[in-house]
Amino acid sequence: MTTKYRQLNRRQFIQALSASALGVTGLAAFPGFAQAQGRKNALLIGLDIGDSITFDPARLAQYSSPMTVHNAYDTLVTMNPGDYINLKPNLATSWAYRPDGKAIRFTLLKGAKFASGNPVTAEDVKWSLERVINLKDQPAQYIAHVDKVEIVSPDTVDIVMKDPTQPLLTILAAPSFSIMDSKLLMAQGGTAALDAKEADKATTWLNGNSGGSAAWNFTAWERNQQIQLARNPNFRGEKPGFERIVIRHMSESAAQLLALKRGDIDIAFNLIPEQIATLKGDPQIDIIGTPSLDFIYMAVAANAEANPALAKKQNRHAIGCAIDYDGIINSLIGGSAVRPVSFLPVGVNGSTAELTKQIGFQQDLAKAKKLLAEAGNPDGFAFDLTYSNNAIAGVSYQNLAQKLQGDLARVGIKVNLNPIDQVNLRTLFTQGKLQAVLTFWNPPAVENQLWASATVNRVAKRVHWVPPEAMMKIVNDASAERDLAKAAVLWRKYQEGMVDAANLFVLIQPTYQIAVRKSVAGFKPTAAGWMAELGVTKPV
Amino acid sequence: MTAVALPQEVAAPASSRRRWLRRYALAVAGGVVILFWFAVALLAPVISPFNPEFVDIASRLQPPSYAHWLGTDALGRDVLSRVLYGSRISLIAGFSVVVISAVFGTVLGAIAAYARGRVEDLLMRLTDLVLCFPPIILAMAIAAALGIGTTNTIIAMLIVWWPKYARLARSLVLVQRSQEYVEAAHVLGFGHAHILFRHVVPNAIGPLIVMVTLDLGNAILVFAGLSFLGLGVVPPTPEWGAMVAEGRELVQQWWVATFPGIAILSVVMGFNFVGDGIRDWLDPHARRR
Amino acid sequence: MLRYLTNRVVTAFVMVLLATLVIFLIANTAPGDPALAQLGDLAASNPEYVKAFRAKWGLDLPLWERYWIFLKGVAHGDFGISIMSQRPVLDDIRDFAPATIELATIAFLLSILIGIPLGILAAVKRDSWIDHVARFVSLIGVSAPTFWLAFIMLAVFYGWLEIAPGPGRVDPIALLPPKVTGMLLIDCILAGDWETLRDAAAHLVLPATVLAAATLGLITRTTRASMLESLSQDYVRVARAKGLPEWRIVLGHALRNALIPVVTLGGLAYANLLTGAVMTETVFSWPGLGRYTFRSAVAVDFPAIMAITFIVAVVYIAINFLVDMSYAFLDPRAVKR
Repeated sequence: MTTKYRQLNRRQFIQALSASALGVTGLAAFPGFAQAQGRKNALLIGLDIGDSITFDPARLAQYSSPMTVHNAYDTLVTMNPGDYINLKPNLATSWAYRPDGKAIRFTLLKGAKFASGNPVTAEDVKWSLERVINLKDQPAQYIAHVDKVEIVSPDTVDIVMKDPTQPLLTILAAPSFSIMDSKLLMAQGGTAALDAKEADKATTWLNGNSGGSAAWNFTAWERNQQIQLARNPNFRGEKPGFERIVIRHMSESAAQLLALKRGDIDIAFNLIPEQIATLKGDPQIDIIGTPSLDFIYMAVAANAEANPALAKKQNRHAIGCAIDYDGIINSLIGGSAVRPVSFLPVGVNGSTAELTKQIGFQQDLAKAKKLLAEAGNPDGFAFDLTYSNNAIAGVSYQNLAQKLQGDLARVGIKVNLNPIDQVNLRTLFTQGKLQAVLTFWNPPAVENQLWASATVNRVAKRVHWVPPEAMMKIVNDASAERDLAKAAVLWRKYQEGMVDAANLFVLIQPTYQIAVRKSVAGFKPTAAGWMAELGVTKPV
Repeated sequence: MTAVALPQEVAAPASSRRRWLRRYALAVAGGVVILFWFAVALLAPVISPFNPEFVDIASRLQPPSYAHWLGTDALGRDVLSRVLYGSRISLIAGFSVVVISAVFGTVLGAIAAYARGRVEDLLMRLTDLVLCFPPIILAMAIAAALGIGTTNTIIAMLIVWWPKYARLARSLVLVQRSQEYVEAAHVLGFGHAHILFRHVVPNAIGPLIVMVTLDLGNAILVFAGLSFLGLGVVPPTPEWGAMVAEGRELVQQWWVATFPGIAILSVVMGFNFVGDGIRDWLDPHARRR
Repeated sequence: MLRYLTNRVVTAFVMVLLATLVIFLIANTAPGDPALAQLGDLAASNPEYVKAFRAKWGLDLPLWERYWIFLKGVAHGDFGISIMSQRPVLDDIRDFAPATIELATIAFLLSILIGIPLGILAAVKRDSWIDHVARFVSLIGVSAPTFWLAFIMLAVFYGWLEIAPGPGRVDPIALLPPKVTGMLLIDCILAGDWETLRDAAAHLVLPATVLAAATLGLITRTTRASMLESLSQDYVRVARAKGLPEWRIVLGHALRNALIPVVTLGGLAYANLLTGAVMTETVFSWPGLGRYTFRSAVAVDFPAIMAITFIVAVVYIAINFLVDMSYAFLDPRAVKR
């Protein structure tokens, strides 16, 4: 405490000097009394929110907005941080497949209220989910197999499915499927009717307000500036320790670091590994790690027209054997990451870090050279690797691409780097026109089927892979299997198949490192794209 | 009285030399800096302690030390070697943009001024058109259409760069055109091209040289800026603007962004000092005293 | 005169048309498809969604028709809806422009308030130490890469010395005044919110200094050159001969004439500040137009790109026109051409 006191004095002293020296422009900020008071009651977060387009749960498709939505709305079921296999009750206290197997019946929590004071009813559940379906925006795709929502009693609903073998519960845990205050929303122009795509007018309102039942009430959004949340007075659980939350847009991690060190923000989300390393041992700051379900992967297309060498499976396996996986994780991201076997992140059913050691690719340069010789390319070959100028979890694609370039050069494979903008990259990749791509996958919901079906369907097309029938069957069977242990066995088979195909090389599944000032207690990050449980944070 | 006057007369050349030196000291210093960077660009392979593209992930982000005088970057590459090699791209980009657009712009501007009438109108409206593009959008649109790379970035810069030369050349030639010697040449029966390029242009070349020198620094600056925004070079080629971009998040590892920034500053300053000196030297008001 | 004016207006009109058309065509040659980029991964591989998206944004129409729709919209003062932010482009610009205007204006004021006196001093005391210092300072200002200077300033004054506030327009905790102009300094004064005003002013110091550096050099050099020019004119000699005090000669006679090129250059420099703040805005997390321009271009957000191109072209032509008019005013011969 003494050091802080002295520091403040020095700062004020210099501020006074500069204020008199610089005149008008040097009105350096003496934090005023009221401001200092406000600071104590508010939780200040630095986050890059440049990607936010909407906070309407039924339209969520971005990366940073789910945190706000998750803290303002409740879903029927949820997950505990760190456990992405077992579901936890939220607005639904219990659930079970209906005896006919066509629907899941949910029993709702009694006494839950929205921020407006309205009770949470079966009517709201039906309205919210049907609105998602009828708005026909991105989230509607994930519950396309839902037929309708039936109200059984004021606190019981059935979600009826067209195809009950398809998974639903894990998907409903995602923020897109939040239960909204239907009375309030209808007053704001919302509708869940069949013509909602055209008739619904509530999105504008939802971009600055919320109608949820969680600990926080979303109260303001200024594009590229800030998001504000206020305590929900009608929240059923424990009252949050802060009166409000301000999420400040800070696109540069260096700015977040400085602001955090100065105490201008309490939590910094987008620090890069090098910055985290310098914060370790700082008496004012805790580093909290959240294993994420996101990953960075390299997709390599087996398109003989674009690159005949890549069309040969041995050559792709040679790539898999030449990459310095441990070097990437230990240095580029400071060791705070894991690597899954393939397209199922570590932490979901059937995917563990140990399994990667058993059946995943390992660096083996001799084997890589042998594979190249078998493929008829003993001197290696060349291919283009495309990436955009972005960074994920502080790892820039540019650095990663250059690292891969260096690794593959050791077995004679020449990588030509091709940086392009994000729009071109997504367009060309979706059209299957790229030889190899470095990109990112983050899940809309924690459901194995969403990852697996992507790899055998749309992503397979992009990399010119025709999955064998057996592979399709494994994915279908594993998705339909309700016994977790049996499903895990099937998912292992799926991952073996993916390694054999050698089109997708998952390189980094980051553990997000969040820096929190010690003045904040109880910060609980969660993974799966919605990032943090802010209701339980408290000032110290 | 003579005894007093004498030392003054003797002192006059000395003080004027001092004044000359003081006035052109910056220009001389700038010239030295430019020569230094030219030598570096030529000798980069000889004087660089390391391969600038060699990735050594184990020794990444090391602070300046005896082995790595300016430290290492995020991929363990030697910052000093990359700064030294980076001079090549910057100088090449700066010179190609300025020289090509100066030649192209001057020819167009001279033709416009000489031809007058509809040709002049058309050419001048063309320069207006180019000047009213938002440069960032144009550069990014071109990068998106042609792809990112040194050549494409230079092309994008050329498109927006030449008009100012066209305008300058036009105004200079307009002044020269009305001079008597041009009319004399006409009377003597010389052709248009001959008069324009043998008489008019050489006489207008002074201000052009000043502009080119000052502009070299500017072009290097803009190229580095575009690289900083991710439009310049394809990695792993070392380039100063891109190096600053790589290091701008690394506040603790300040050496990654600081040194390439100093390199840009010094070379641009060199050109500006020299250009400023030449301007003074050519400027009759400045020379008179 | 009237003919001259009509001529100018018609030319300006054609120029804006051509500028937007060229940008439109170049942007369309890029392979990037906003539909595939903006839709989520799953939706992007569903042809039905892609088709609906294209229809919604008019991306499925032939090129000429899209350009025609743009023109028709502009005629009604409507630039369409941004693909990226999904709301009217004009709303976006209304949100982002004040931040940039505020920053650019402060930077501009800073550079003329320092640059002009410095330039005058340098001219009057030519070859003195002050002339050399002014020259050195202004040349460094012109030579420093903005993006690097911004990084260094932030690291030194905010991170290390802790005497300047950090990135952004205000402290994260500050309560913003009701939005009237969008320019915080003015809005705070209107609302009588002195605390936030001080905060916003303090946040302007670093980015405005960075942005002013280059302009300052330019203005100092130009002022000095044109002061030297006018100090050597006959009327100055006459004034000197009349025995007027030196300060009256400098400030009264010489300066008035010397300022004309400075004003011209200043106008263009201000326009450049408005459009050229991308890098400063990037490093200082400043939610301004430069950043918006960059993001729109990256996202191939056609309506936004077109609107910005249009506005920049109009601003440029307007400033050019004013400059020409001032020439015409000073030297009527220029009009006759």
